[in-house]
Amino acid sequence: MAEVDVAHAEIEVEGLNKTFGRRDVLRDVSFGVERGGFLSIMGPNGAGKTTTLRVLATLLTPTSGGVRIAGLDPLDDPMPVRRVIGLISHSPLLYLDLTAYENLRFYADMYGVPERERRIGELLERVELSHRRYDQVRTFSKGMLQRLAIARALLHRPRVLLLDEPYSGLDPHAVDILDGLLAEIRAEHTFVMVSHSIPKTLQLSTQVVIMDAGRIVYRQAGRVDEGDFVAVYREHVNEGVAL
Amino acid sequence: MAAGAVGVGVVELPPARTSAGRQLYTIVKKDVISELRTKEMLLSMFLFAVLAMVVFHFAFTVRADTDLTYFTGGMLWVTFIFGALLGLNRSFVHEKDEGCLDGLLLCPVDRVTIFLAKMTGNLIFLLVIQALAVPIFTLFFVKTSYAADLPAFLAVLLLADVGVCAVGTLLATIAMNTKARDLLLPIVFLPLIIPVLIAATSATTGIFAQTASLGSLGAKLGFLAAYDVIFVLAAYGTYDFAIGE
Repeated sequence: MAEVDVAHAEIEVEGLNKTFGRRDVLRDVSFGVERGGFLSIMGPNGAGKTTTLRVLATLLTPTSGGVRIAGLDPLDDPMPVRRVIGLISHSPLLYLDLTAYENLRFYADMYGVPERERRIGELLERVELSHRRYDQVRTFSKGMLQRLAIARALLHRPRVLLLDEPYSGLDPHAVDILDGLLAEIRAEHTFVMVSHSIPKTLQLSTQVVIMDAGRIVYRQAGRVDEGDFVAVYREHVNEGVAL
Repeated sequence: MAAGAVGVGVVELPPARTSAGRQLYTIVKKDVISELRTKEMLLSMFLFAVLAMVVFHFAFTVRADTDLTYFTGGMLWVTFIFGALLGLNRSFVHEKDEGCLDGLLLCPVDRVTIFLAKMTGNLIFLLVIQALAVPIFTLFFVKTSYAADLPAFLAVLLLADVGVCAVGTLLATIAMNTKARDLLLPIVFLPLIIPVLIAATSATTGIFAQTASLGSLGAKLGFLAAYDVIFVLAAYGTYDFAIGE
């Protein structure tokens, strides 16, 4: 089990199992993330990383096992949990036919964000998209879409951020903006990130787990040397890894 | 543990500043804005309706004095049901693009509110098509004035449309996550909608032919209302599973 003081854990996952048909996608997955912690989940494709994240995001119900986020049980009542989590995925989760402003206004109204206009303006400014607020998202580049997706995820001030390969397809400028935003909000948020990038993972994380075939095969808390980690990764997962 | 409870590691939630009604309005507004930009559903449904009417006109008007009054209900509802099918097939396309459905499901919104909003959106689009198509249809096929029965005709339209959209939205949601969604929806939708088709066709023909008694019309309206209640309740009970995994 992770070296986390469970009494102060923001996220607790215990004995998670998920089956699709006859296929076991998650097998007895357990971990904890302390408040303000940053857990990264690594592993080859099909290891169960995204499934784990989708269970945390209340988008999937596990076959068995327990989850608590900020002390709330999403399996019992997912609605309050949805108000405290934000998801940044490699898909932007934005409506292409709406403008940047209309997308943020839609999500702000769905979450009941107070002082909506000020919050939207502030986030568009922060992701450097104020000048494109009335343009349809369809006309945005991949990097701009991802920047707007970051604004969407932070709109309702979530305290837990779930990141599903957030750096995938980003240009260097968008990477800088995402890095800057994560650094700014780091102290008051708890993060779970799924990533294939070892340098990014080691730079950001307070905890790393490696999953393979639905199981956690390795876990490490604290700083890790990149060279050592690559060796550990190759030892546990017999596949290539993006460095 | 209850939301907002205070305890070790338990989040103190701010009071919710939104309601199911506001969320429903927000989703419908988003769907209407998207549709007005692309006009994908409206245009395809309207073109189909006009094309069907033109085909019916040339297929059935074999002589200049052919009276089609007793076929009007059937022609009208076949046009509307297949037109609605075109729209329903596209009603979740925007949600599947760029993972928007996940974005919607991540919001603190009841799944039934999503169903009611999507159903309302589909209903609005179907009513818009009917508002454009019924006058054209009347011009082509209806020889007698049905002005006195207009409220009854509008009641038939509305009640049948609610049934079509309730069943259609539920099935479109289920079909959306399947590979053969374009095939699955009509295969499941058309048999389920037959009771509505029969009642609406019969009531509409009765109105256009001026042969409907108050009692028989009332019975058909009652049947349509009961169908609507049953399928909205069925969707209420199953939508969480339908839209889930």
